[in-house]
Amino acid sequence: MITRDNINDFIDKIPPSPKILQETIRHLNNADLNKAAKIATEDPALSAFLRNLVNKPLYGFKQEVSDISQIFGILGLSGSQQSVYNYMLTLLSPKKWNLFNLNKTSFDELQAVFSIKWQHILEHLKIIDRDIQSAITLLPASIIVSEALFSKSKKDVELLRSVHDLNYNTILQRLCDTTLFDICIEISIKWDMPKVIPDIIRCASGVNPSDDKDINKLGKWMHLLLFYELSQPLFIEAGLNDFIEFNIDYVEDIYEEFLQVMGVQ
Amino acid sequence: MRAIVKNGIGVFKPQGFLDGNNASSFLNLEDIEATTNLNVDIILVSLKKVVFFNKNGLDIFVKLFTKVRQKNSITVGFCDYDEKKFIAINKFYAGELAFSLFKSLEIASLFSTSFKNQQKNILLYSDDKSQRTAMAIELHDYGHNPVVATTQEDFNEKSLNNSAYDYIVDYTYLGQMGEKIATRVTGNAIIYTVTAFLDAEIGNTFNIAYHNNSLNVGFRLFIFDAYKVVSMNIHAFNFFSKLSTSAAEYNATIAFVGLESTKIPESFIENMEDSGIIFYNQMDDILLNKELLKELGASSAANIKQKRVIDKDMIVKLPDFIDATVATIEMMTNSKALKEAVEVSKIEITEQEGRIASSIGFYGDIDGMVILVFPSKIAKKACELLIGESTDDIELILDTLAELVNIVGGKIKSLLFDHGINVNITLPRTYNSISGLLEVVEAKKGVQVDLAFDDDKFLFFLTK
Repeated sequence: MITRDNINDFIDKIPPSPKILQETIRHLNNADLNKAAKIATEDPALSAFLRNLVNKPLYGFKQEVSDISQIFGILGLSGSQQSVYNYMLTLLSPKKWNLFNLNKTSFDELQAVFSIKWQHILEHLKIIDRDIQSAITLLPASIIVSEALFSKSKKDVELLRSVHDLNYNTILQRLCDTTLFDICIEISIKWDMPKVIPDIIRCASGVNPSDDKDINKLGKWMHLLLFYELSQPLFIEAGLNDFIEFNIDYVEDIYEEFLQVMGVQ
Repeated sequence: MRAIVKNGIGVFKPQGFLDGNNASSFLNLEDIEATTNLNVDIILVSLKKVVFFNKNGLDIFVKLFTKVRQKNSITVGFCDYDEKKFIAINKFYAGELAFSLFKSLEIASLFSTSFKNQQKNILLYSDDKSQRTAMAIELHDYGHNPVVATTQEDFNEKSLNNSAYDYIVDYTYLGQMGEKIATRVTGNAIIYTVTAFLDAEIGNTFNIAYHNNSLNVGFRLFIFDAYKVVSMNIHAFNFFSKLSTSAAEYNATIAFVGLESTKIPESFIENMEDSGIIFYNQMDDILLNKELLKELGASSAANIKQKRVIDKDMIVKLPDFIDATVATIEMMTNSKALKEAVEVSKIEITEQEGRIASSIGFYGDIDGMVILVFPSKIAKKACELLIGESTDDIELILDTLAELVNIVGGKIKSLLFDHGINVNITLPRTYNSISGLLEVVEAKKGVQVDLAFDDDKFLFFLTK
């Protein structure tokens, strides 16, 4: 079904981050929003992505915001960096989804809600760190990797899962001794993402807790946020609810606090 | 959402948060109907990975449960929860629980007619006296030895002695139990469980197509587990008499177990005996008596009325069958298969030592049986993906092999459907020795395909 060669092939085909994006990130890291916006404007697809993002109802602007400088101003340094990483991830997204019932709009929606709710969580935890805020952008990569690796074997996987309790992460681990999240980490390395991002993502898988207490805590919040969002009707119907295993025990100690932050009655 | 079906139980496993907004996205009537079509006798929603639920969410499932119970008479409910969740559900539905609650899937399986391992020592406790009694009766009916704790203190004390019990049942509630004719395979016998008052409805609830195909694929002993039958009328009597007459054409036997003579008219018993039906008091009277099993045909399938031969229709579809098998084994082992030889002949297994086998029947637009003979090494490797580790436990390997053959059957069904051919598949059978397999198929002609996975030989045989 899937071999190590398929995985290597997928990793080999991950494009390096385009120069414009690298430059935009570099200026954001130097806290220069104006230069970052100027560079970003040169990429029409990135500009369109940012306009589409900021004008979502989630952001609550009554009038359309179209100027990239203004958008970066609204998003701030952390939000802008996060949005550029989100855009980079869309470069890996398939044109047509087959394994999951997703499309460009619903995937954008997933990225957007992750970003906003992760920001709420970090505010609650009183964490101000641009790289930690951007960590959430790598989480949906696990969905893209699943789609890329399993879409050709969709029917086989469905049959397999009809007789045995298996998720994509477990199947991959048992077949190839690697996980979806290991591949996400390869993506982050290829794109020179700050090290804290893969560290948190590894924990957010729910199967690889970290010895670092702070990273582990963030991993728990991200794992629970993942399943909070994958319990929304749009994403259940997309077939995402059980693409990896939810580790309830891992998030037990933050569960009540999470409900408060999300306003769940 | 699709259910995972095993041993007659279909389980849906939602993850995360469950409320009135998303419950219908997790589960709808179509999902449940697709599962009931797989001949399950229990349908459950597992709450193991549900971190949050409210009554609005559960209500949507409960409404579906009610519909499916009314239509299919099967047991429905929730499983895999902790004490806190059990208390919450009881609070939500105080006094109105029409569905069942099983603390774990393992406990639910004790109440399934498809559960193979009987005679388990089970400690049980419920603070509801009527529930304690109901559970004890059900468990006893299914061949277990229930020990009832009458108070929480009694339960705590008894449960300290862990080793005395195979299972401990608590935080469990039996709602309305199923009345479906459940089917299970024990060795070479098929056991149907019938309950309550038997009337003309038996003609609708009994899966005659499945039964006929089981005759075709070599089963020779059919046992009706009738411990819970209250009585039967003339319509049910006629149904069983006809069933026995048609079974005789295949030299097959129909037996009834646990049907007390006081429950049905004496003339029914006499006439049913005349039509060849045999009556036994206990299931063990048959299943533990190897000589009797042999006499009744449960260890042999040689005497078939009509020797069925593989035909052109089947040969044309051969590539579908082979593709389904090869693709499944390749998927499970992550290795490539090579087709070495194809021959129309009786099955020929040159090396029998260290091999195990499995078969699955199909029926519908075409019917027949696929047999797979594995070297133990390949079987173990193929099962590793499902088990998650290497094992030498032969029972576990055979159980998993049955799942694997189920996948092959499902793939065959899907490939044939793509070519406009509709079939259903039977329960899979496994053989831990080749001699057991040969008793069933030795005389049959079919297509034998020798395959090699890496350097190991693997045999595929398609017959009718």
